[in-house]
Amino acid sequence: MEYVFHIAIMLNIYIMLVLSANLTTGMANLLTMCQAAFYGIGAYIGTFFLMQFHCPLVVIIAVVSLVTGLFSFVVSYASVKLKGDYFVLASMGFQLIVYTILYNWIPVTRGPYGIPGIPGIRLFGIWELSGVYAYFALSLVLAVVAILLFNNLHDSPYGRTLRAIKADELMVQSMGRNTLAAKAWAFFISAAVAGVAGVVYAAYVSYIDPTSFTLNESIFIISALFIGGIGNVKGPVFGALFVVLLPELLRFVGLPDAVAANLRQVIYGLSLILVVYFRPQGLFGKMVLK
Amino acid sequence: MFAQFIVNGLITGLLYSLLAIGFALVYNTTRIFHIAAAGIYVFAAYAFWWLAVKCGIPLLLAAILAIALTMGLSLFSEVGVYRPLRGKKSSLSVTMIASIGLMTVIVNLIAMVFGNETKVVETAILKTYSLGNLIITTPQLYQIIVSVVAITAFLILLGRTRLGLRVRALSADESLFESLGYDKQRAFSLVFLASGLFIGLASCALVYDVGLDPNMGMTVLINAMVAMIIGGAGRFGTCVAGGLLLGVLQSLTVYCFASNWQNAITFALLLGFLFLRPQGIAGYKQRVV
Repeated sequence: MEYVFHIAIMLNIYIMLVLSANLTTGMANLLTMCQAAFYGIGAYIGTFFLMQFHCPLVVIIAVVSLVTGLFSFVVSYASVKLKGDYFVLASMGFQLIVYTILYNWIPVTRGPYGIPGIPGIRLFGIWELSGVYAYFALSLVLAVVAILLFNNLHDSPYGRTLRAIKADELMVQSMGRNTLAAKAWAFFISAAVAGVAGVVYAAYVSYIDPTSFTLNESIFIISALFIGGIGNVKGPVFGALFVVLLPELLRFVGLPDAVAANLRQVIYGLSLILVVYFRPQGLFGKMVLK
Repeated sequence: MFAQFIVNGLITGLLYSLLAIGFALVYNTTRIFHIAAAGIYVFAAYAFWWLAVKCGIPLLLAAILAIALTMGLSLFSEVGVYRPLRGKKSSLSVTMIASIGLMTVIVNLIAMVFGNETKVVETAILKTYSLGNLIITTPQLYQIIVSVVAITAFLILLGRTRLGLRVRALSADESLFESLGYDKQRAFSLVFLASGLFIGLASCALVYDVGLDPNMGMTVLINAMVAMIIGGAGRFGTCVAGGLLLGVLQSLTVYCFASNWQNAITFALLLGFLFLRPQGIAGYKQRVV
């Protein structure tokens, strides 16, 4: 039973991650390859505050989303300067720089040794969350909040502005909207949600190391997003379901571990090509990336 | 010691240039952000290793066969993936996503067949040559010869022949190229073959020196992309300038700090160029679509 809940927790974390990638990629048309960097920054910052100050839940989420959001300004500054492929490459660059720092700045991040024994998040400052069930509840609440947030965002004036930017940025500017601010907020919210996913992950697993936050992880999140579909909430949620549940289904086939991991990736890659060919908006998506 | 690092950097830079040319051939003409090149690079390495070590074919012949296979795979990526997508009028970002998918498939199929561990091509200890204080190993000597010959031949072909003129015309204006009655699809196929050739050359030359594993492709490709962009996208010769600059800077990073900061330096350099001089060392400003 704990196994099922473990998968459910990972599913909730990935729902948050894929949804956060959808805000920039699906709605604002800025393909980012650095979601895992924000996930990692969130995890490390959250770990720092959990270990030093034993912050309660609300404080830790506020702090992590704020700090991770601040890091997003690096990327949103790049998005102002760069367009198209160059921006994709710059976001990959941000991802790799973050990874290199996490891996090599050993005095602070302990680098490849990772940080063990991360204390659980304290609800109201007293009750320390531990065990699968507590984190299932927490991650479920956060994932539902993320789903509701992005669902409302989609039809809010702000969401409409973002989608209008996707359609024609110059037009939106000429209507007097500040497109740069809108995009910067998109990055901020996206990074903040990914950061919160990171702190939930860190507190649940109670051990983090940089290998969870690589470029491959970013590509993985983007793959999930494109398989599920972009531009709405249903698509990313389905994408997260697909990438989290597929390995568990393959487990029942009984392949050796090493082969299973690679086979899984082959299936992701193939589905990505097929989805992009037959349904460029993704299985349940609404928009096509321009 | 310092001169040795510069020389090592230049040699690495030459290899980056080779791969950058392979990437730029596709990027400049089709505008596809050809991430699958990382997979093709890994495929070339494994084809070379399998032919040379497992089948015991002489190194030179193995390399030639491996490069031929690589060119085949590169052509397949065009005919099997990119052309159908182009037929459906997919946007370039969507094509790039498909390219990521293709890269994932190739790399993981290889890992499934050959395993995830690192392999080596040459196990013997090879002769080194010394030039004053400088030491050059045998693989490095091969790398210099292969890349200098290939790059020179490429630049001559590109600048002096009708084929080269067509590639340049295609990269300058695709629709004009078509409206003048040239076959775009055929030209694209040729470009992908050439791209496979350069990716294969870079892969075999590097793998002979440092060994191979299935996940090496992305890092090397990112270095090549950075080399292309800091050299100046839109042209081909500039890849060499970018590659050499990147190689030397990475080598100096090792000299001054440690090898594990290489990636950070690479991207700091890239971001510096993108913000301050987006057209690269010798490129021209391009219209952003």
